[in-house]
Order: sequence, then structure tokens, then C-alpha cells
Amino acid sequence: MPTTQATTPRKRLGSVTAEVVEAGTPERRSSSANREERRTAYLMLAPMVVLLGIFVVWPLVYAFKQSMYQGNFYKAPVFVGLSFYKYVLTDPGFYQSLKVGGYYAVIVVPGGMLIALLLASFIKTLGARMASFMKTTVYLPTVVSAVIASVLFRLIYADQGLANWLLGVVNLGPKNFLGNASMVIPAVAVPGIWLGLGITTLIMLAGLLDIPESYLESAQLDGAGFLQRTWYITLPLLKNVLLYLFVTGLVAAFQEFLLPLLIANGGPVNASTTPNLYIFNQFRSATPYAMTFSITASLVLFIVLGTISALVFRLIKSEKAVDA
Amino acid sequence: MVRSRRSLAAKWMLLVLIAFSMLLPLAWMALCGFKRDLDVLKTPFAVLPQVWEWHNYTAMLHDRQYMTAVGLTMVGAVIFTALSIAVNALAAYAFARLEFPLKRVLWVLCIMPMFVPAMSILITSFVVVSKLHMLNTLAVLIIPGVASAAQMFFMRQFFLGMPTAVEDAARIDGCSRWRIFLKIFVPNSGAVFVVVGIISYMAYWNAYVWPILTISNPTLQQIMPVLANFLDDRGPQYGQLMAASTLAALPTIVLLLVFQRHIVAGVRLSGIK
Repeated sequence: MPTTQATTPRKRLGSVTAEVVEAGTPERRSSSANREERRTAYLMLAPMVVLLGIFVVWPLVYAFKQSMYQGNFYKAPVFVGLSFYKYVLTDPGFYQSLKVGGYYAVIVVPGGMLIALLLASFIKTLGARMASFMKTTVYLPTVVSAVIASVLFRLIYADQGLANWLLGVVNLGPKNFLGNASMVIPAVAVPGIWLGLGITTLIMLAGLLDIPESYLESAQLDGAGFLQRTWYITLPLLKNVLLYLFVTGLVAAFQEFLLPLLIANGGPVNASTTPNLYIFNQFRSATPYAMTFSITASLVLFIVLGTISALVFRLIKSEKAVDA
Repeated sequence: MVRSRRSLAAKWMLLVLIAFSMLLPLAWMALCGFKRDLDVLKTPFAVLPQVWEWHNYTAMLHDRQYMTAVGLTMVGAVIFTALSIAVNALAAYAFARLEFPLKRVLWVLCIMPMFVPAMSILITSFVVVSKLHMLNTLAVLIIPGVASAAQMFFMRQFFLGMPTAVEDAARIDGCSRWRIFLKIFVPNSGAVFVVVGIISYMAYWNAYVWPILTISNPTLQQIMPVLANFLDDRGPQYGQLMAASTLAALPTIVLLLVFQRHIVAGVRLSGIK
């Protein structure tokens, strides 16, 4: 009988039985398993999706909508189309803040990356114990908040503070760091670099450790010094890491506003008003259309920075594809 | 032999020099906390305090406003960290191991926030939480930041690298996905949870802008806004200001030092893939 023939081997094979049974009715089985898995997946994703929906997607969509309505908390909004984008794009204060943000980023990002590269190269030459001590040391300032760094550096830059004492030692005289329009951004950049150094160094170190030791050794045998090895071997092989750090660093630095706000309060005369600080100040100002204006300005900034980073990441990705 | 010993000494010197310059601002801050107000600025070098003024630190420890803020921020940070790990780990597991319709769409939705700068939705987020009547509650400080694309992405990378053999065996034994997650994935993710946990804790502890926007009730003040207020209110009391800053930096520094090994392990694990 066909039925007994089918059942006896099943019993004998023991653990395989399940598979055979499944093979007998594949569609019904797998669809109920799928339904189970689907339900689990949606349940697991639900908190994340709901929270992101409420606290990210809603505000973002709302911001785009709001940028086309003139209004504030107290008046009914009036549809004005894209005219606020025009106001933002023709506002000299906005461009001034872009310049300030650019200046800050141009100091902080390459400066920070150079120091991080030197630190990472040094850590790489150390033994395990010294290296782990060094990694912790470099990383420590990163856990300090921008607020604490601001409190600290405001005192360091005070007329009789640490910075002026150090300048006094080399006879460069006291300087009014925070009251001088040409000096305030470099002064704010120092804590900026100090706070960001930890993570940049660790990422670079990871990149350095991925470079095959044999490349560097053979170059050394051929008589290449440290600088030559760095220039011809390390830097080209680190290109993707460097590009990544450069873009993310640039986008982050461009958006810095806590340090200039708390150290120099945007001054003197807007000399340290970065784009986000400008937006923040607009929002706090009492003009009737402050809200729409600042929302629009922040969206313009978001679109510009988002486009730049998307382009560069596309570039990195395509190069990686070529390598592989 | 001689050469290697000399280079070792050079390395030590460089090491001390770097450590010194990286930690100088922090050490100066902690020491200034022990100085009399005038000594902080007048004689910067006397690096060490001329008179050890323990009073600055003890005054902060007895300052009600300050200590309430410290306690409340710690409570908030712990709840925030726990929720954040739970929510993001669940989503990360679903994306790493489960198949379901709309996976790609949901993935894009969940990863998109990584590219939205906080500032560009700061104002409308404020409007949203005020519409939800969350202003001036502990919830407004905790809930909006719990779901994090970056944290979820990081954990998913790690989950993708976990071997499938154990999981498959458990599946054959009839283990549900929930049990697999709780009994296999959670216990093996300690190092990764430590990394994302510290990042969450720090983000909460160091937050400034969101609390000043959403909290006006003085009993709910968070530590960083309180500290920033000191900057203006206690201008001339430099010693106390530095003591307060040092104490406010301490919890995250201690956290980093305690979990430092796990951080390295966690980063390495997720790097191996």
C-alpha cells in the first residue's frame, strides 16, 4: 500500500521526518511559518517605526509644510509658497553665517585630521599596554560635553587666563581672543578639535591597522623614510577612510553652534555666528515670522549639506566597487 | 639593543607629552575647582592651588539646585539608555535576521534619520511635542530620542556577524524568534550593548539645547543647562564654576574608564563581521 510505504521510512529516519512532512505540504507550511515570522518582525519593528514616525518624520514633513506658511504660534498661517526660500537666499546674514561656518570647518576638519593622523601613527607603533593607555587618553576629552568645554575655554581665554599666560611665556603678549573678530573663530576651533580628536583618531587607527604591514616593510627596505611611506603608501590606502572622515567632519563642523554660542555668544558682531547659531538666534528673536524663517533656513542648509554628503558617499561607494 | 632602548625612552616621552597636552584642560579644570576665585585667573601658574579650597566642591555637593539636576539627569539617562537599547536592538534583530514584506521600505525609513540634522527639525519637533502635551515632563527629555538610526545600524552590523548555526539549531527545536532573540542574541551582545549604551548615556547627560527648549519648570532642570546658567550667574565665582564643571564631567569619564575594555572589544567585534 502506498500509505505504509510512505510512513515506514519516515519513522525510521527520525529527525528527518519533519522535513519530509514539510515537503509533503510545502505551501501551507511555509506560509504559516512566514506569517508567524512576519508578525514577529512587525512587532519588533513597531516601537522603532512609531517613534521615528512621530519624532522624526512628522517634524520633517511638518517643517517642509511650515516653510510655505507664513505664521507663528498665535496667528493662523497664510500660504506663501516658496517666498520664504527667497527671503533666506537673499539674506546677507545667512551668507555671512555660511562664511563663518565654512571658516570654522576649514580649520577644524583638516587640522583635526592632521593631528589625528599623527596620533594614530604614533599609537600604531606602541605595544599593547601603552597603546590602550594612549587610546583612552585621546578619547577622554570626547566624553566631555560642549557645555563643559565652553565653561572651561571661556576661562582659558580670559584676559589673565591660561592661553594668555602661555603667550606671555613666549613674549607674544596678552590677546583679547574672544573680543577680536579675526581671532574668535580660531579660538573656538581649538576646543572643537580637542573634543572631536578621540573618535577621529580611533577611526584612523582602525584604517591604519588594515594596511598590510608588508607594503610598508618593503618600502622601508627600499629606503623610504617615514614621510615618503606616509605620502606614497599610507595616505593612498587610507583614501576612503580620509574621505569619510572629511565629509562627515565637514558636515558636522559646519553645523557646530554650541561652542560659539556658549564661548563667544556669536560675537563680536556676528563674527562667530555659525549657520545653526544664526538659525537658533532667528528662532529666539521676537520678529513675527521668526519661526517660518528659521525653519526655512534650516531646511535650505539641510538640503545643501545632505546633497554634498550624498554625492561624496556615492563617490566612495563606487570606488570601493572598483577595488573589489 | 641600545637603539631600541633609546627609542623606547623617546616613545615614553612623546606619550607623556601627548597625554599631558590632551588632558591639560581637564586637569586644569579639576585643579581650579580647588582654587580661591581670584587665584583661578590671577596666578594661573601656580598650577597647583596656593590654598586648597575644598569648599568649592563641598558647596556644589550641598547645592540643592545642582544636586537635584545631577540626580534627575542620571535617572533620565538610565531610563533613556535602557529604552534605547531595547527599541533599537529589537529593530536591529528584525532587520538582520527576519524576512518580511516591505523590508526595504522600512529599512530606508529607519535609516533615513541618520541624515537629518537635529537642527533642521528642532523647531518643528518642539511644536510636535507641545501638541502632544509633553512639554515640561520627564518624557519629553527621554522619549523623542530613544529610536536612533545610528544605534540600530551599529547593532544590526553586529547581529549580521553572529553565526547562524546556533540559531538554526534552536529553530529546528521549535524555538520562537522571540526566545532566540532573548536567549541567544541578548546574552551574547554585552560588548555591543555597552558601546551603544555609553553613547546613549553620554548623549542624554550632555544634552543642552533640547532641555532648554522643552523644560522651563525649575524642578526638572537637567545638568547641562544648569551648568550653562552658572556660567552667567556665578561669573566671578570661578572656583565653584570649575568645581561644578568637573563634577558634571565626572560621571561620563568614570563610565568611560570602567567600560573602556568593553568598548574596544565591542568596536572590534562589530568590525570583524
